[in-house]
Amino acid sequence: MKMTFKTALLSTILAAGLAMPAFAQEVLKLPNMSYRTGPFAATGTPHMNGQRDYMTMLNERDGGIGGVRVAFDECETGYNTEKGVECYEKSKAEGALVTQPWSTGITLQVLPRTNVDAIPMYAPGYGFSAMQDGKTFKWAFNPPTSYWDGASMIMNAISDGDLANLKGKKVAFLHLDHPYGKEPLPLLEKLAADHGFELLPIPVGLSEMQNQSAQWLQIRRERPDFVVMWGWGAMNAGAITEAVKTRYPMDQFVSVWWGAHEPDLKLVGEEGKGYRALSWNFADPNAKLMQDVKKHVVDAGKSQLNQGAGEFESTPYQRGILMSVILAEAVKAAQEHAGTKMINREQLRWGLENVKLDEATLEELGATGMMAPFSMSCSNHTGHAGAWMVEWDGTKFNKVSDLLSADRAVIDPLVEKAAADYAAANQPWQMNEECTQ
Amino acid sequence: MSYLHSIFVAPFADMADAPDFFLQVVWEGLVSGVLYALIALGFVLIYKSSRIFNFAQGIMVVFAALTLVGLHENGVPALLAVPLTLLVMFVLAVGIERAVLRPLVNQPDIILFMATIGITLFLIGLGETIFGGANKVMITEQLGIPTGSWVVEPFGGFVSVEQKDVTAVVGAVLLVIALLVFLNKSKMGRAIRALGDDHQAALSVGISLSTIWVLVWFISGIIALATGIVWGARAGVSFALEVIALKALPVLMLGGLESVTGAIVGGLAIGILEKVFEIYWGQPLLGGNTEAWFAYMLALLVLLVRPQGLFGEKIIERV
Repeated sequence: MKMTFKTALLSTILAAGLAMPAFAQEVLKLPNMSYRTGPFAATGTPHMNGQRDYMTMLNERDGGIGGVRVAFDECETGYNTEKGVECYEKSKAEGALVTQPWSTGITLQVLPRTNVDAIPMYAPGYGFSAMQDGKTFKWAFNPPTSYWDGASMIMNAISDGDLANLKGKKVAFLHLDHPYGKEPLPLLEKLAADHGFELLPIPVGLSEMQNQSAQWLQIRRERPDFVVMWGWGAMNAGAITEAVKTRYPMDQFVSVWWGAHEPDLKLVGEEGKGYRALSWNFADPNAKLMQDVKKHVVDAGKSQLNQGAGEFESTPYQRGILMSVILAEAVKAAQEHAGTKMINREQLRWGLENVKLDEATLEELGATGMMAPFSMSCSNHTGHAGAWMVEWDGTKFNKVSDLLSADRAVIDPLVEKAAADYAAANQPWQMNEECTQ
Repeated sequence: MSYLHSIFVAPFADMADAPDFFLQVVWEGLVSGVLYALIALGFVLIYKSSRIFNFAQGIMVVFAALTLVGLHENGVPALLAVPLTLLVMFVLAVGIERAVLRPLVNQPDIILFMATIGITLFLIGLGETIFGGANKVMITEQLGIPTGSWVVEPFGGFVSVEQKDVTAVVGAVLLVIALLVFLNKSKMGRAIRALGDDHQAALSVGISLSTIWVLVWFISGIIALATGIVWGARAGVSFALEVIALKALPVLMLGGLESVTGAIVGGLAIGILEKVFEIYWGQPLLGGNTEAWFAYMLALLVLLVRPQGLFGEKIIERV
């Protein structure tokens, strides 16, 4: 009898073990690298909350994507590149369909690996700008707009649409001394050379993010006509408070989209009036999309967001939502094209290349006005959605420009050269020969 | 020749040309230096009494500041939140002594150092769980700290002085005076110094190791709170404050690990010199961001001449 019981128990365990992989496969593994700890957590957390909450909403409202639930596991990197590489290897071993590196430094580290491992890399609004070139970077995507696009749009905006207006002027480029912060430099240097303005790069080290008095003393001494900020984490809050302290004119202080971050501006409140940031998304808590997230996730107690601090209404949280919207649309496209709900990595790559977020789709999603329409293709892995200038009025950001667009005539040749240089430096490099566009 | 000119002549000419700007640079350096000194003091105090290099001092600054702001966010009046935060830091000190230090008595220094790394990771996790990772606004005005600024106009120019920076400097000076009086004049203070000088001798005359450890960790908690308030008032309270605490390392190398005077002098020297170097040599000649390494280079140069730091004790061991 004892033997029978033991045999039965063993059989059950074995059967369960055999059944587990089949059961585990019934989810779409779309993990995220997060940094909810460390000096960059302040900006990372609301984005990651938004990304997670949209996927949770799809699971709760629709039963996932195409009826398959999404497993949106997080791997904490603390914005540390080495940890990011570990997270990449871990998620690869676990059968992730995509890698979301969430740092330009990590993106650059795992970029060559994704090309060999054939894993789509999804870096929405960050990463290496040349990833736009889908023929070279078959597996890497950085929609809806790249850092070079962003830098171009900012320069167009501060020059009132004509870069010739900047001739003889001085533009300080206050940036994190990190691959992310240096990313727009090639474009800015070219624009400075072409249009005769002085570019003054001012790096901010990690240990100086909250003590930028030296950088702002330099700004006081040099008196630039504009300060363009490429900051992240605690650096943005540090810069904004120093700008107020230095009495730098706020209407001459412009940031890339990560600086459209309400908690940073709340530190200075009214004194930050006039500060602008370029943003590819615009927060609309009343949009149908956001109301669905509220109903199915936030009110249901399934979100990690900080309700008391107004995170739901904030730009970064809603940007995180849109990041997941783009990825989910890629999954949908892949499922429809492949004729299967359980897609693989190659099929997701096809889906990303065929994302078409036009006005009609945005309306259907309930996200009209939250971001600009865009689409990707095999040769264009960025999409080049436009962006808006948003301005801080003391309590909130307001849209103060029409939809801006980047100067393709300047950026595309730079992208082509950077992509070719990258491929040459990383031989043997697998190109996408099938892409003939 | 022009390069030599830009190193040896141009910076001093710049200082002479715009003396008001030079004064502003020195003032900003002084404020940074005071804050570095405060963080370093927390390290020194614990090292003096227990020979433990407390890696957790940085995260204690963050934890104390987050507790203060968190209590206030939950409806506790600012002036009540301060003693309550101190109570939390006291409980933390008792907890560390009981759970970490006591079981590790007589273990090698490296074990105790590793234990403080463990405390750091624990406090990061605990802080994240309770307070989240968002940047929080320090309750500066609620604490009665003035937030305006004064503009003085020397040499036909101007120097802008933030009132909260002045408060930070005055507060730090008072804290250091109180600490020095406590260490030199009180019975408990002398016990701390005795323990630092010779553990065995101190124990043999009845000084309680556990009581002193709780006391020094609590005092470090007080210093952490003061540091958190003044740094937080400058750029918000977030986990990035922990990174600033790393600046205490070259301060300690420069001043000496067990010297209160060394922490103060080292902090002020590094604060002012790194700022002056960055503005007049780093930015024009080296592309800026020299503050990331200048302090370490300065400390290294001092170590070449005085391995024990400027004010450290020269230890001679007979073998």
